[in-house]
Amino acid sequence: MSLVADLISILLNGLQQGAIYILLAVGLSIILGTLEFVNFAHGALYIIGAYVGLYVAQGLVVSEGYLAEAGFSDLGLGMGFIVGMIVVALVVFVLGLLFERFIARAFYDRPDTDQILVTFGLAIIVQEILRVSLGSTSQPVNQPTWASGSVPIPGVAISEWRIYIILITALLVGIVYALVEYTDFGLVVRAGTMDDEMVRLLGIKLSRPYIIVFGIGAALAGVAGLVAGPLSPINPTAGTDILVPAFVTVVIGGVGSIRGAVAAGTILGITQAALIQTQIGTYNLAPWSQVGIYAIAAIILLVRPEGLLGEEVDTA
Amino acid sequence: MSHIVVTRNTNRTRRDVMKAAGVAGIAGLAGCTDSLTSGDGGDGGGGKEALGNYPIEGDTATFGFNIPLSGPYGSEGQDELRAYELAVKHLNNGGGWVDSQFDDLSGDGVVGKTIDYVEADTETDKGKARENARQLIERDNAIMVSGGSSSSVAINVQDECQKQKVLFMACLTHSNDTTGKDCVRYGFREMFNAYHTAKALAPVLGDEYGEDLEFYQLYADYTWGKSVEESMRQFLSEGPGWSEVNSVATPLGTSDYSSYLSDAQSSGADVLLLNHYGLDGAKSVRQAVDAGVDEEMDIVVPLYNRPMAEAAGDAISGVFGTVAWDSAIDNTPSNEFTSVFQDEYDRIPSGPAQLAYAQTLQYAAAVERAGSFYPPDVIKELEDYSYSNIGMGEETMRKCDHQAQRAVPVVRGLPADQIETGNYFEIVNTTEASQVTYGCDTGPAAQCELGPYE
Repeated sequence: MSLVADLISILLNGLQQGAIYILLAVGLSIILGTLEFVNFAHGALYIIGAYVGLYVAQGLVVSEGYLAEAGFSDLGLGMGFIVGMIVVALVVFVLGLLFERFIARAFYDRPDTDQILVTFGLAIIVQEILRVSLGSTSQPVNQPTWASGSVPIPGVAISEWRIYIILITALLVGIVYALVEYTDFGLVVRAGTMDDEMVRLLGIKLSRPYIIVFGIGAALAGVAGLVAGPLSPINPTAGTDILVPAFVTVVIGGVGSIRGAVAAGTILGITQAALIQTQIGTYNLAPWSQVGIYAIAAIILLVRPEGLLGEEVDTA
Repeated sequence: MSHIVVTRNTNRTRRDVMKAAGVAGIAGLAGCTDSLTSGDGGDGGGGKEALGNYPIEGDTATFGFNIPLSGPYGSEGQDELRAYELAVKHLNNGGGWVDSQFDDLSGDGVVGKTIDYVEADTETDKGKARENARQLIERDNAIMVSGGSSSSVAINVQDECQKQKVLFMACLTHSNDTTGKDCVRYGFREMFNAYHTAKALAPVLGDEYGEDLEFYQLYADYTWGKSVEESMRQFLSEGPGWSEVNSVATPLGTSDYSSYLSDAQSSGADVLLLNHYGLDGAKSVRQAVDAGVDEEMDIVVPLYNRPMAEAAGDAISGVFGTVAWDSAIDNTPSNEFTSVFQDEYDRIPSGPAQLAYAQTLQYAAAVERAGSFYPPDVIKELEDYSYSNIGMGEETMRKCDHQAQRAVPVVRGLPADQIETGNYFEIVNTTEASQVTYGCDTGPAAQCELGPYE
């Protein structure tokens, strides 16, 4: 393989792996930064998005669980991936609103440990509901037919869908960034983050922007679940598995920073891809790829405890 | 992740557990001063020395099923559990192979004891699995432990079982080490190993793809993956004369194989071996096909199964591998098992399910032949035992390494347009035991040192 093809391969693989982390981390980060709410149920929103998307976009065959026992073994609408993504974004956005209104809001003023307990509990409930109703068998998600080829670069084995994942992530994160940075809605959210008491004294009600922030973060997680589906067959525990790298991305990027989450996700993805594809003599660095992520995290946090683009917290 | 050991004995309450703990404590104290021998063992054994969880108190013998209900091998574990439950049901009430294939079994319990069971989730983690085994033996008084899916789990559990003198009937474990360098007197494996797989698969691959090719391996970075990697290298070199370009370890539970696959494709090798199992195997083969790797290389997955093929979807098309057992194997025991499993669960059983069912009945039958649950007697009944009643032809559970010498089904994924629910691959051949067997002083067996009986 030529060096150029090697570098292209590492770059594309890294960006794509980072893209899924970014989609999850942006939602987590804005919820954590704005509402100071630690949401361990973010993985549950991811897996709900994956299953809803699979149902709408393609369909699934259920061979175990309550639904199969009740005779519903062949489910699905087969409406295609684009419709799937739109429906997932809407459904999980609404779920996010309900989650904020009826669960999260009651815990805003309570300690982080309470928030972790309730959201982690909720994640397990969602996981087990999916398991008993749909079974634990992994479900394959096909790539959309319009993105099923491989990238036409010699020596680079990457499916087209992975390029679409990078583009979809860039588009969605760009929209959220513009919303937060350049609109009145974003101004209120940012002002509320800095000094919510002052914003309230100015007569601005913060509950509405906050609930929308929660919904947006949830919708991003849901879409991430669907777009990552063709990479890895989905099962009820997939949401829990993805949560740790997503949190690492948030912490490295800096809590509340969208740009930080993007930078962190990209660094993690490319580090991982580079380690996997690098060989020194006959020694392959692949076994160090997981360690590499956490080593990078440790180095960044040692140098910048507030994360790459996070703001220093004044605890005084 | 939950760390729950679930008991299915619906009559057992917390108070019962406390009582049992109290009794166990008193019994333990008594054991310090009392004789080490029991009366008649409570199971007709008569005068045998107390060993492990023998003798069994009361009328119920408990089996411990230590299986992956979550983690990369979760789908396999669910199917194993179904089969274990079916086996216990048949042991107590008759049905299935208990009525038709195992003359030693009556369908009315085992040597006068009703069979109960306790299940535990290994989470596909060897540390958790060992801890579970300890609990199943010490708290639940399991007289036999079975389970697997992940060889590192099986090896750790059988090591614990050897120490505690409780039999381990391995379910799905394919590493050479299970009955090689890590073999134990108290462990028995029905499943063939990586060495058998490589011996069966190499000639088929040579015939299909030609000689003097180059191959590239990705393997799961633990005992099983390394075992398959070494055996495939050995037999692909010795057989069709293939040479290895590179071999790269991937962590268990890897979510994205794209970078590994990019490297593999750019190596210029002709064949890619994906030594991954369970969800990892489904992911890697699917990602390889989606990235177009199959257009330049032939893909081989040395060990796969039905849940894996289901999760991989049409990516399994054309892929060669071996399976533990399959419902498509057309003989009386196989057809009977498929039929009773389908009647019970309305689904086709997987290879791991057949292993779970067979191993449970095999143990029970050995107890019946021994007339007692006394572990050394049961072990001696299993050693060098020949049988042909589980759908895999003539088999011998070899005494020197406790490895069944049996046939190996070689399969190939069906063409994409023929893949449908429950039908993913065809059996290319069933390589006879005589063609894949090896001597007690060669291969993995050469490293096996079984421990003591008592």
